[in-house]
Amino acid sequence: MTTTTSPAIATSRKQARRDRRRRLGPLGVLSHVALAFWTVLVIVPILWTFLASFKTEDEIFGDAWSLPATPRWDNFARAWEQAHIGQYMLNSVIVVFFSTFGTMLLGSMAAYVLARYPFRGNRAVYLLFVSGLAFPVYLALTPLFFVVQNMGTLPLIGPFIGLNTHGGLVLVYIAYSLPFTVFFLAAFFRTLPTAVAEAAFVDGASHSRVFFQIMLPMARPGLVSITIFNVIGQWNQYQLPLVLLTSARDKWVLTQGIAEISTAAGYDADWAALFAALTLAILPMLVVYTVFQRQIQSGLTAGALK
Amino acid sequence: MSLSRRELLRAAALIPAAGALASCATPAQTPAPQATAAATSAANPLGVAADKPLEIWIFDGGFGDAYAREIHEPMLKAKYPNLEIKHNATKEVAKTLQPRFAGGNPPEFINNSGANQMDFGALVADGQVADLTPLLDAPSWDDPSKKVRDTIDPLAIEIGSYDGTPRVLNYVNTVWGIWYSQKVFQENGWQPPKTWDEFTKLMDDIKKSGKMAPFTYAGKHPYYIYEALLTVAAKIGGADIMKNIDNLEDGAWTVEPMKQAATLFAELGAKYLMQGTAGLDHIQTQTAHNKYQVALLPCGSWLENEQKDTTPADFGYAMFPWPSVTESDAMPYGTLHSQPGEPYMVSARSANPRAGLEYMRAMLSKEGAGKFMEMVSTLTVVNGVGEGLQLKPGLKSAADALTAAGDNKVYFRWRQWYAELHTEVQAASGQLMSGNLKPEAYLERIQKKADAIKNDSSVKKFKR
Amino acid sequence: MRFITGFLVLPVTLYLIYVIAPYVQAFYIALTDWRGVNASPRFVGLENFQRLFGDGIWWKAVSHNLILLVLLPIIVLVIALFFAFLLNAGGDRGGVAGSKVYRVVFFFPQVLAVAVVAVLFQQVLRPDKSGMLNAPLISLGMEPIGFLSDTRVALWSILGVLVWQAVGFYVVLFSAGIGSIPRDLFEAAAIDGASRPALFFRVTLPLLWDTIQVAWIYLGILALDIFAIVWVMTAEHGGPDFSTTVMAAEIYRNAFEYFKFGYASAMGVVLFFFTIGFAILSLRLSRRERIELS
Repeated sequence: MTTTTSPAIATSRKQARRDRRRRLGPLGVLSHVALAFWTVLVIVPILWTFLASFKTEDEIFGDAWSLPATPRWDNFARAWEQAHIGQYMLNSVIVVFFSTFGTMLLGSMAAYVLARYPFRGNRAVYLLFVSGLAFPVYLALTPLFFVVQNMGTLPLIGPFIGLNTHGGLVLVYIAYSLPFTVFFLAAFFRTLPTAVAEAAFVDGASHSRVFFQIMLPMARPGLVSITIFNVIGQWNQYQLPLVLLTSARDKWVLTQGIAEISTAAGYDADWAALFAALTLAILPMLVVYTVFQRQIQSGLTAGALK
Repeated sequence: MSLSRRELLRAAALIPAAGALASCATPAQTPAPQATAAATSAANPLGVAADKPLEIWIFDGGFGDAYAREIHEPMLKAKYPNLEIKHNATKEVAKTLQPRFAGGNPPEFINNSGANQMDFGALVADGQVADLTPLLDAPSWDDPSKKVRDTIDPLAIEIGSYDGTPRVLNYVNTVWGIWYSQKVFQENGWQPPKTWDEFTKLMDDIKKSGKMAPFTYAGKHPYYIYEALLTVAAKIGGADIMKNIDNLEDGAWTVEPMKQAATLFAELGAKYLMQGTAGLDHIQTQTAHNKYQVALLPCGSWLENEQKDTTPADFGYAMFPWPSVTESDAMPYGTLHSQPGEPYMVSARSANPRAGLEYMRAMLSKEGAGKFMEMVSTLTVVNGVGEGLQLKPGLKSAADALTAAGDNKVYFRWRQWYAELHTEVQAASGQLMSGNLKPEAYLERIQKKADAIKNDSSVKKFKR
Repeated sequence: MRFITGFLVLPVTLYLIYVIAPYVQAFYIALTDWRGVNASPRFVGLENFQRLFGDGIWWKAVSHNLILLVLLPIIVLVIALFFAFLLNAGGDRGGVAGSKVYRVVFFFPQVLAVAVVAVLFQQVLRPDKSGMLNAPLISLGMEPIGFLSDTRVALWSILGVLVWQAVGFYVVLFSAGIGSIPRDLFEAAAIDGASRPALFFRVTLPLLWDTIQVAWIYLGILALDIFAIVWVMTAEHGGPDFSTTVMAAEIYRNAFEYFKFGYASAMGVVLFFFTIGFAILSLRLSRRERIELS
C-alpha cells in the first residue's frame, strides 16, 4: 500500500479513473442496472413483509400487492404482547451478551496459549478444538440434551445451568462457538509480533498480565471481527434453544418465537401478527447493522481474509 | 449428585472410551415412581394423592386451551381444594415433552395431539402410558351407580386400547365429510350430492358458474385428502378395507376398491381443484372457503370452531358424507368416517398418575363434556350430552349426519400406529392429486412402504 | 506450565462436556436401536447403517445435499465476484457511484436469522394471489408457479433462497479482498489499455484466489448443514414428496418424529463423514494448488 502520493501522481490517477469511466460508458450503465436489480431483489421481499404487517387479515389474503387501507398498528401490539416478541428479543440479547463475552474470553485464552506456548499435547488440544468445526450439530442434539439435564442436577450451580435456563444455553453456545473462535484467534495470535511481549517479560510482567494488557489490545482487530461473527451466529441460532429451552416459554429466544408464530398461524390464522412479528424481528437487526455496518463488514471480512 | 459429577469428571478424562462416556449422559434408568395411591373412598374412588401437584399439558390447537383452564381444572379444584394444578399449553407437544419422558420426569396429564404429537406406539411400548382400566371401572362423576365405561362410546375405549389394555382417552368424536356453505348452496340452487355422478355434475356446475372453484383441500397436508380416499374405498369395499390396512395385511393397499377410489381422486385432482391448492395449508384453504373462493372442502368436524374468527356470520357451515360410487357399494349412502380423536393420556411414570385419571373422570362427566361441547363446538364421546344444547349450524349438521349413519361408521388407526407410513402416504397422496403419480403406482408405492414397516423389527406392530 | 493449564482448563472442560462427550455418545447411539423413551438402548451393531443403505428417502436427501453442495458455491461465488468487481470498478477505492449503499443493502439478508428468512419466503412464494411473486403472474392471466408445491421446482426455490441470503456476505468479502489488492496493479493494467473483463481475469481473480477458496469451503459446509430453511419453509418438512429434503431434515425427522434415535444417529454419523470428507478434500485440493502456483 502506498501511504504518500505526490500531487502529480494523484492527478494522473484521477485522470486515469475518469478516462476509464468514460471508456466504460455503456458498461457502467449496465453495471448499475445489474446492481440495482439485485438491490430490488433483496429489498422488495423485506419491504413487502413490512407492508403486510400493516394489513388486515382480509388484505393479506387478498392481492399481494395491494396497499393496506389503513395501517393496522394493532398487529404489532398483538405480536408484541400475545406473541411475546419483546420478551423473546430481550432474552436473545441477554443470552447472546453473556455467551459472546464468555466465548471471547475463553476462546482467546485457549487460542493464545495454543498459538504461543509449545508444550506436550499442544497440537492434540488444538486439533481437538478444530475438529469441532466439522461436526454437524444434528449428530449431538440428543446426547447434548442429557448432558445439560445432568448438569442441572449438580449441587449449588445446577439450577442455573440445567435445562430451560439461560445459563445452560450460554454454556452450550460458548462450547459450540469455541472451535471457530480458537481456530481463528490462534492463527491471529501467531501473526502478532513477539517483540513487545518479550520486552514485557524482561520487565518482569507475569504471563497473564502480558496476555491481558499487551496481547489482547494488540489482537483487537481479530477480536472485533470474531466477536461480530459470534454475535451474529449466536443471535441466529435456532436448533440449540429449540432443544434446550423447550418447556420454559418465558425463556425463549427470538428465533423460537418467530418459528412458533409461524406454526401458530396454522391454528389461529393470525397472519397479520405473523408479519408484524417478522417486521419486529427484522427491523432492529437492519438498524443495528446499518449503524455499525462499517465495523461489521470490515470485522467479518478481516476474519475470512486472514 | 456426586455420582453424576464423578462420572462427568471421568468422562472428561476418558474421551476415547466411548463406552464409559455413554454411561454418563444417556439417561440413568429411572425407577418408575410407585403410584402410591392414597386410600380410595366413595368421594375419591381413584385414590388421588392431593398433596402432590398435577401437571397438565394441553395441545394449543384448534380447541385452544381455555376449556381446560375454565371447565375441567376448576371442577377438579372444587373437589380437591388442596391439589396444586400446574397448567401448560403447547403447540409442539413432542418437541416440548419428549425430553421429559427421556429424562424420566414426565408430566401427569398430556393432551398428546397435533402435527407434533408424540408417537403413542413408542410410548406404550416403553410402558410410559398409564392403564386406564381403574378409571373405566370407577363410578362415573355424575351417577355412582354407573361405571365410567358405560357412559361413553365403546369405540373410544377400543381405539384407545393397545394390546387390549385401554391407554388413551380419545375425548372428541370427530366425523369427516365434505363441507359447504348453506348460504352459497341456497343462493345457487345447489344440492348435496348422493352419488358420485351427482357429485361430479355438481362440481361441473360450480365450475361453469364461474363464481368459485369447485373443490380444494389442505394441499400442504395431504392427510386431509387420503382420509377421504380411504373413506370412499371403505364405502365401496367395506370396513375391512381399513382394518386390513391397519393390520398391515399383504396387499391391503392394492385391492380393487382402493384402485377405484384412487382413480376417482386422481380425476378430482386433475379436473376440479382450486388453483394453487397443492401449495396451501389447511388454514389457507379454509379461509379461501370462507371467502367464497371455493365451494367444497373435505375436513373433520373441528372445522367450524377452527374457523370461527374468519367465517362470515351468514356462512352457515354444513357437511355431507362422501357420495356413493356405485349401486353395489358395500356400505350405504350416509356411511361416515367417524372416530373418537383428540387423545389424552396419563403418564405411568409421573409422580401423581391417579390425579391424572381423576382429571379424565371429570372430563367425562356430563358437566365437563357438555360445557366443552358448547365452548369449542365439537362432539364428544360421552353419551347423550348434546341433548338440549344450542348447537351451531356446522356442529348440528355433523351431529345429524352421525345419527343418520347409525352403525355405518368406519375408522382407521395406522396413522397413529405407524408414523412413517403416514409420512409416505402423505407424500404419495399429494403426488396422486397433482397428477405425478398414477393410481396404480400410487398404491404400489404405499404397499411397498407398508411391507417395509411390517418387516422392520424395530417397529412395534399393532392389531385391531 | 501452571499458566498454560490455568488458561486451558476452563475452555477445554467446557468443550469436552458439551461438545466432545455428546458426539462420542452419538457414535455409540448409532449402534443401538434406541427410541428415546426407553432408558436402555439395545446394541444392534451396524444394522442401522445397513438399513440406511437401502433407504430411498435418505439417498434422496443425500442427492439434494450434493446438488446444493455443487451449485450453491458456484452460483454464489459467480454472482458475488461479479458484483464485487462492479462495485470496486476494478480496484478504485470509490468504485461505481453509490457502491457503499449497494454494499450495505446486499448484506441485509445476512443479518436475518435463517428461521426468519424461511418464514418470510414462505409468504413470498405462496402459490395464490396472496403470494408476492405469483400475484403479478395471476393478474396477467398466467398459471401461478408452485414454487414450493411443485416437486420439479421446489428444490430450486430452496437454492434461490439460499443464494439470496448468502450473496451479500461474499460480495462484501470479495470487495474487501479487491480493496486489499495494491491499486498500482490495476492502474498499470488500465494504463496498458486492459479492458474490464481482462482486468478481472488477469488481476482480480488470481489475487483473490485464496479468499475464493475460503469462501468455497464456507459455502460447502453451509450446503451440507442446511436445515432450518427446508424444515420451516417447505410442506411436509422437506416435501412435497421429499423433493426438498436434506440430510439434516431426515436426521431431525427420524429422531424427533419417529423417535428412532439410533437410526437418526447413524444418519448423523454419515453426515459427519460427508462434512469431514468435504473439508479434507477441499484443503487437499487448495494445498496442491498453492504448491503448483508457487
